[in-house]
Amino acid sequence: MKGIKTGAASVYPKKDRNLTRWLFVGPAMLVVLCLLVYPLGSTLLYSFTNKTLIKTTYSFKGLENYIKILSDPDFLRAFGTTLVWTFSSLLGQLLVGFTGALALNRINNRITRPIYRICMIIPWAFPSVAIALVWKWMLNGIQGYIPTMLMNLGLSDSMIQFLSDPKLVLPTLVFINIWFGAPMIMVNVYAALQTVPRDQYEAAVIDGANAWQSFIHITVPHIKVVVGLLVVLRTIWVFNNFDIIFMTTAGGPAGRTTTMPIYIYELGWTNKLVGRASAASILLLIFLIAVCLIYFAVITHWEKEDRA
Amino acid sequence: MKKAIATLLAVGLAASLFAGCGGSETSSAQTAEGATSTAAETDAPLEGEITFWHSFTQGARMDAIQKAADAFMQENPGVKINIETYSWGDFNTKWNAGITTGDLPDISTAQGTGEVVEMINAGVINPMDDIVDEIGRDRFSENALADMTVDGAVYGIPYYSHAQVMWYRTDLLEAAGLEIPQTWDEFYDAAVALTKDGTYGAAFSCSPNDLLCSRYLNYYVVSAGGSLLNDDLTANLTSPEAIDGINFWVNVYKNCSPAETINYTVNDHATLFYQGTTAFDFNSGFMISGVQSNTPEIAEYVRCAPLPRMNADDPVYSAETSHIPLVEWSNTEHPEICKAFIEYLYQDDNYIEFIHAVPVGMLPALSDIATNEAYLNDPTIQEYADCVDVIQEAVDNGHAIGFEHGPTPQASYLTSQGVIEEMFQDIITNGTDVETAAKDAEDRLNEIFDTMIA
Amino acid sequence: MKKGKRVGDILCNVYLIILAVFAVFPLLWLLVSSFKSSSEMLNNPTKILPIQWTLENFKTVLITLNFTINIRNSVIIAAATTLIAIVISSLAAYGVVRFFPKLGDVMTKVLVTTYMFPSIMLVIPYAMVMAKLGLTNTRIGLVLVYLSFSVPYAVWMLVGFFKTVPIGIEEAARIDGANKLQVFVRVVLPLVAPGIVSTAIYVFINAWNEYLYSMILMSSSDKTTISVAVKTLEGADILNWGSLMAACAIVVVPSIIFFCFIQSKLAGGLSDGAVK
Repeated sequence: MKGIKTGAASVYPKKDRNLTRWLFVGPAMLVVLCLLVYPLGSTLLYSFTNKTLIKTTYSFKGLENYIKILSDPDFLRAFGTTLVWTFSSLLGQLLVGFTGALALNRINNRITRPIYRICMIIPWAFPSVAIALVWKWMLNGIQGYIPTMLMNLGLSDSMIQFLSDPKLVLPTLVFINIWFGAPMIMVNVYAALQTVPRDQYEAAVIDGANAWQSFIHITVPHIKVVVGLLVVLRTIWVFNNFDIIFMTTAGGPAGRTTTMPIYIYELGWTNKLVGRASAASILLLIFLIAVCLIYFAVITHWEKEDRA
Repeated sequence: MKKAIATLLAVGLAASLFAGCGGSETSSAQTAEGATSTAAETDAPLEGEITFWHSFTQGARMDAIQKAADAFMQENPGVKINIETYSWGDFNTKWNAGITTGDLPDISTAQGTGEVVEMINAGVINPMDDIVDEIGRDRFSENALADMTVDGAVYGIPYYSHAQVMWYRTDLLEAAGLEIPQTWDEFYDAAVALTKDGTYGAAFSCSPNDLLCSRYLNYYVVSAGGSLLNDDLTANLTSPEAIDGINFWVNVYKNCSPAETINYTVNDHATLFYQGTTAFDFNSGFMISGVQSNTPEIAEYVRCAPLPRMNADDPVYSAETSHIPLVEWSNTEHPEICKAFIEYLYQDDNYIEFIHAVPVGMLPALSDIATNEAYLNDPTIQEYADCVDVIQEAVDNGHAIGFEHGPTPQASYLTSQGVIEEMFQDIITNGTDVETAAKDAEDRLNEIFDTMIA
Repeated sequence: MKKGKRVGDILCNVYLIILAVFAVFPLLWLLVSSFKSSSEMLNNPTKILPIQWTLENFKTVLITLNFTINIRNSVIIAAATTLIAIVISSLAAYGVVRFFPKLGDVMTKVLVTTYMFPSIMLVIPYAMVMAKLGLTNTRIGLVLVYLSFSVPYAVWMLVGFFKTVPIGIEEAARIDGANKLQVFVRVVLPLVAPGIVSTAIYVFINAWNEYLYSMILMSSSDKTTISVAVKTLEGADILNWGSLMAACAIVVVPSIIFFCFIQSKLAGGLSDGAVK
């Protein structure tokens, strides 16, 4: 098992690590510098100013933007909504993706397995604009298929308003996100499952372990690093996701689905207050970095365990 | 606040001094030359490339403009006109981003006079008095030009006009034995009565990315003789008529509207009427082409009347008139081409062809065209002649929302920030007390005015 | 034991069928809706197959929008992004693994940190940078912007793959006199080819699906991507659900065909690198 930490054996000896090594990492470092340092710098700068979208001049206002945002109840609510959105989407994606992969791994039929696999990765092929349009159409509260069907089947008395009922709207969006995101988890977990050496399971059976015990003691240790890396990427992706929510509910009704990216969009593009939107972005970034540091610590710990 | 206005005035005044002088000189010179017609083209051939942004994503209008541009390019081989179309919702975002990227057009439409004021406030568009004079200042409605005049300079030329009226379905009213509502109370009763069997009386839509709540609240407030802006240009959502209006529309939402409309934009909303889902709607003459293309079988039952009033004996009023203008951007390198092309668009034949792209939906901004035979020779305009009269009367007597106090940035921000829409969503979804929500929204608007207009 | 296994298999199949139905239904609904007339959609909301199949929606969409150009743009932009990102990222990932025993760990973490920047925060500064470079409204500009999220992602994934290559093979080649780049291209790359392919697919899909940057940075309809073109349709005045579904079908179906071809490669992904 190899993880993020580089084992000494795989590194070139010191004499070979001369200046040419920088040629390898140079282009990537350049991309990062050009494409990310400047935007970060300018966002940081604007976060201390009253810059607006439609004026090129601005003046410094110190911490005013940060104070305004931290005292804005909408910001706190958007932050809370983002946590719910991210946590429940991830949990759902992992649960569905993981169990789907386990089920798929168990089936040995050469015909049905690829069919299941193709079917289950279809959501992944949907660009966000198509996700939004298709679900909006299926859940449409006037003549949408799903509410009408539920009513015809007698499961509801009236058309269920999935995208406008304040209690249902966030769970509905989370469901859509699970539908879209679970395939990626499934595909990767499935691939990881196939790398678990078969002989270990056989040995476990000989030792008298049941299925659950082999799952906990063989499967989980083998794939937890992969899942950990995936969770890092997915957390970031879901946390920052703008397109899906923006194109289905645009944050409504009454801010029930306003996550941080939508909140920032409203500040920056509707209210045109770029300075304040920048300050919100910086706060969001700080939080994300903190979360990922925790993830990194956990993954590094797992890797150390593996090596030990 | 006062300081902000003073600064704005000063800047505008300075601009208008230059523009005004230049404008009047060129215009008089050109009227002299005007006798030999297309004087500009004979002087020196026009050469260069201009970009024209518009938000007419609807096929026929897009085609009419493209056709005019192609013909213009044929007449002026040195000229290239690039046309870009953005949906109504993206249009504002695009030019806002363009101020940052410098990627702006030479000519564009604007989504109404409010957006023109926003553009003036951002300092990105040119006065157009010379072009107005060339086309004929007295051919435009005074109200229309006034809505785009800041400190004596006109910053936009009305391309077409429309106004908000009440649309209804004669078949549904007749079946229910109802009269055409004259007052808000009658409208409400009729809408409630028609909400049954999958049909809804009227929709009330609240997407914060659009302005429908502001628009509907404004009808009610104007009909009561009020305004959403105070004389000192602060927002007013807490006047007795505004509070009544908020309550009125919340009731319409609760009792006559599909629940889903809480997230609907103008397009989603209008589609409900186009498809025959709603019995009443408030909109401009665009309703007709919408119904014709979506559900042609109900088109003959669609008619309009003036907006409901407080009391049946109140005079007929107009709550909202829109003049969709063309504007010229300050960064243009070819003002002479912009001028020639805009004038070309307003030549009778080209203009009528454009207006005919959405008959009744777009009413001519040029008064003489309204009686032009070629213009009147259109089956839809003839079939709905009574509707044209109702809308035309509203066009003549109304202003854009908040423009009772002239073209101010406040009027523009009143509708573009989604604050009133969020207030309605809050009341409907969270059950927030109307007066509290109205006060909060009013404070937020005033804060936005202060920040944006400083 | 045997019997328990059979029951387990049946349960697995049932579960997979349920998942597959959930996954496929929206696609199915999208396809059938795109062949229905608007009155049919209104009057028969739960009837799955159209009573009368119509191509009207596809006609409306294809005439209103020049979709072929937008699809071509999306392919070009996504392919260019993928190519550049993969070249840069494999060099970097290899470099990190082989030459930076101490710094490497920090470097990859910094890269992942940059992946955290929300696009909504980056879009305004990018608009400014692109304007200064004169790259606003160009495909090159958009490709550069897409590199900002593609490179960190690709490096993060590729580092895992390169670690699976034993250094012994390279040392042998080095003794034969090949320089570092030659070793990299001739010896290492073929070994990690599957990992590179699956990374490339991820990058391609992300670039293909992107909406926000394209919406803000591209102003010409003949240069913009398909996602933005479809969204423009939604804002158009008179368009019904049928036409919108037809537009979605035009975007989604090619992706699905592409997926069917590459699906065996997709299984690689992160895991091949990190586990093995």
